[in-house]
Amino acid sequence: MKSRLLERLLGTYSPDPGCEACFELLDQYAEAVLCGEDPVSRFPDVVTHIRQCEACREDTEGFLAVLRTNIFQSGK
Amino acid sequence: MDKESEDWLEALRAEASVRDEALARLHSLLLRVARAEAGRRRGNLPPQTVAELGDLCMQAANDALEAVTRKLDSFQGLSRFTTWASKFVVLEISSRLRSHAWRDRRIDLSAATWEQLASSYLTADRALEQQEQKNLLREAMAQNLTDRQRMILTAVVMEEVPIDVLAERLGSSRGRLYKVLHDARSKLRRALVQDQQTEGLL
Repeated sequence: MKSRLLERLLGTYSPDPGCEACFELLDQYAEAVLCGEDPVSRFPDVVTHIRQCEACREDTEGFLAVLRTNIFQSGK
Repeated sequence: MDKESEDWLEALRAEASVRDEALARLHSLLLRVARAEAGRRRGNLPPQTVAELGDLCMQAANDALEAVTRKLDSFQGLSRFTTWASKFVVLEISSRLRSHAWRDRRIDLSAATWEQLASSYLTADRALEQQEQKNLLREAMAQNLTDRQRMILTAVVMEEVPIDVLAERLGSSRGRLYKVLHDARSKLRRALVQDQQTEGLL
């Protein structure tokens, strides 16, 4: 199995739409994840990108964390 | 589109008094999101960044509000409006936190450093047991990548410089640098797949 270090160096063969295209779908991706849907089948390119791009992965983790707090409902 | 999202759109496109009230509510929401994300990451931030979190959150909310209003017509209701709007402020605060944390750190982009970094990076990888494979990887980088591709790959992958921080230093964009990185990785894989000695790496 390829190590994480090598994967970071070489990436994968999967199609990668890039940062902007990933951002365009991020809201739909996040709602799908929070609804318990399988993001790999609905958003395979986003899943590939956030595995490859550390900044987008960090942003996505933050986005999901905020949405999980129900911040819009609580008014906090 | 859900009713709440429709209400947001209607208010943001209404006459000045209604619109101003909606903009104020939206700004307040974006600021809450920025503060929540900054708070979540607070423990991993350097003290100088923590000291300025209030300002950074306010800047992020201001810029996100501007982005949301500029792109309002592109919102199609495929997610809730609040979810869609919030992704802008998460991007803004996240980029600001990375940028601020790296503000005083030097990033060595000289061609002379890449081979030294590549050597220590590859040595740290226990999966690469054969010296021959390490040499082939270094050679593949030297022979197949342009100076810019090598520099960006070295900085992002080996030095772990966030790609948006590097883009800022180089006067480029995150998307453009990611394309360079993606192309560099593809070239490296193509070069390695042609070599049987590195077949097991891919």
